[in-house]
Amino acid sequence: MRIKTPVMRKNDDFARLVRNTLKQKEIFAFNIISSPGAGKTTLLEALAKRFGNDLAVIEGDVKTQRDALRIREAGCRAIQIETNGACHLDARAVKTALETLDIQGVKFLAIENVGNLICPSSYDLGEHIKIGMLSIPEGDDKVLKYPSLFSRIDLFLINKTDLAEHIEFDMDRAEKECRSLNPKVKTLRLSAKSGEGIDDLVRFLREREK
Amino acid sequence: MHELSLAEDMLGIIKSTLKKTRPITRVTVVLGPLSGVSPESLAFCFTETAKLRGFGSPELEIRTTRAGMKCTDCGNEWESADFTPGCPRCGSWNREILSGREFYMESIELEDADEDQNTGDAEE
Repeated sequence: MRIKTPVMRKNDDFARLVRNTLKQKEIFAFNIISSPGAGKTTLLEALAKRFGNDLAVIEGDVKTQRDALRIREAGCRAIQIETNGACHLDARAVKTALETLDIQGVKFLAIENVGNLICPSSYDLGEHIKIGMLSIPEGDDKVLKYPSLFSRIDLFLINKTDLAEHIEFDMDRAEKECRSLNPKVKTLRLSAKSGEGIDDLVRFLREREK
Repeated sequence: MHELSLAEDMLGIIKSTLKKTRPITRVTVVLGPLSGVSPESLAFCFTETAKLRGFGSPELEIRTTRAGMKCTDCGNEWESADFTPGCPRCGSWNREILSGREFYMESIELEDADEDQNTGDAEE
């Protein structure tokens, strides 16, 4: 028998439910993806200090509650998903998390994906934008090595610019490679640690949220 | 990627399409080169998982498509087997990816040939 069913249908159905909830509550959601250690949580801590209770965070990790604890200490609501083995978050996990997380009055929802440059790229979580992040110590040649991710993101962040004087990283090259995968991608350079570029990110998110 | 869980998802779709678990002989999947899925890995995981889950020993036929690209500088359109940038006409890296991420199931063949029929409500 002939059918035409996308294999990701089950995930996409859940993503649609998430999207509907976010629309109803007028929340702008972003899915942040990077390697482990690129600085996602530190970046979200910086955003938590800026946005306070306007921001809520869904944290994804294989194990531990560490990241959600850090975010709460930084000043906003967070819930931790432990995948217990899965290498990426899926829409069903995000939908379940949204049922528990208090999102009253929230304007921004950050979904910090499991640290991984490969698998998270294919899973629509119901977000408005995907953010892909690469950090200075990782090397400027990674974008075309992971095209599945970098071709799908709306915003490309280069993090840890505070290390740029010590480590060779051609930021123009990485951004050019990213644009070759998606001409519409926006790019920002920042340091979650020093605060450089965070204002630009905040401005970008506030613009998109309108 | 994690072709094993994708194989399970495919069997779930087959089960809900057929309304039950039953032996199948062949499944066709359309896979774009930019989908991120490994065809060999998917075929292996699918046939092994199908056996374990009571679907018999189906063959997985994978129809690979080509990715459609368009140069945003000179307007040239071309087909590619991967993400490699560079317009074949002008060499520019400024391009749009038009297609190539497809990943959908196209047909299921059942063991009982006389029950193999077109469904009236093919899902998009």
